[in-house]
Amino acid sequence: MVATSAGGHWVQMRRILPAFEGCDLVYAGVGPTLDADLAPARYHRIRNVSRTDPFGFFVIVWQLARIMRRERPDVVVTTGAAPGLMALAIGKLLAGSRTVWIDSIANTERLSLSGRLARPVADARLTQWEHLSRPGGPQFWGAVL
Amino acid sequence: MIFVTVGSELPFDRLIRAMDAWAAIHPGEEVLAQVGAGRFQPAHMRWERRMGRAEYAAAIEAAELVVAHAGMGSVVTAGVHGRPIVVLPRRVRFGEVRNEHQLEAAARLAGWPGIAVAETETELPERIAAARAAGAAGLVVSRTAPTAFLARLRAFVLE
Repeated sequence: MVATSAGGHWVQMRRILPAFEGCDLVYAGVGPTLDADLAPARYHRIRNVSRTDPFGFFVIVWQLARIMRRERPDVVVTTGAAPGLMALAIGKLLAGSRTVWIDSIANTERLSLSGRLARPVADARLTQWEHLSRPGGPQFWGAVL
Repeated sequence: MIFVTVGSELPFDRLIRAMDAWAAIHPGEEVLAQVGAGRFQPAHMRWERRMGRAEYAAAIEAAELVVAHAGMGSVVTAGVHGRPIVVLPRRVRFGEVRNEHQLEAAARLAGWPGIAVAETETELPERIAAARAAGAAGLVVSRTAPTAFLARLRAFVLE
């Protein structure tokens, strides 16, 4: 499963899709529908939560709990932001998914807040900037650009 | 068409002035600029203060080359549209930005395919020529992540 919010995060997620060729791929996103060229893959719409939307937090937990129980993804990958972090946490908790956090290429000086919070729930936590990688911290595998 | 963008609302007249001067000596070139809240009004290129997301994407899609501030939003957007980009970092000493993150990001971006860095506005004309040549030769950011990154991610997923 790839679970990613809209805008630049979604654009970066699209660039990694060739890595999942041949996999049974399911999408979760905050937009009303899946991009036409990615259809007819399964798509789950989730709440676009942020720190200023405490009620949305409960909504997305409930949404993702249903989605993860039904889909039981082996792996959950996100390019951010807060909704992707929630997907990693709930996928790991309820479906035992292995999880990958890919921090946005826009974060050149410091990992995003969600990326820092992803530490306990991400099996692989990646930064796209080599100088931000640390032993025991975020890893650098390259950039999506 | 060359699309010039300051990337946001924040003024960046140093870029807009330099590109207006470039347009003045290249009258055959079509140039469109998104200038944000700058004071300077271009006389030799089409310009708009702000553009909606769809309008912005359409301008990049229609452009042969993008000339922008060194913000990652502009760089990534040009990259996903497969357009070469020339970036000029905003600088603290000209009051264009509050820290030197753009300068640092530009230093790291230099040498990436499809990305040319102009350290100062006087370097813009030669960087534009170089980026156009690279674009014409197909040396632009690819539409997917680099193969090595994809392979490593795939290995993790299939593990």
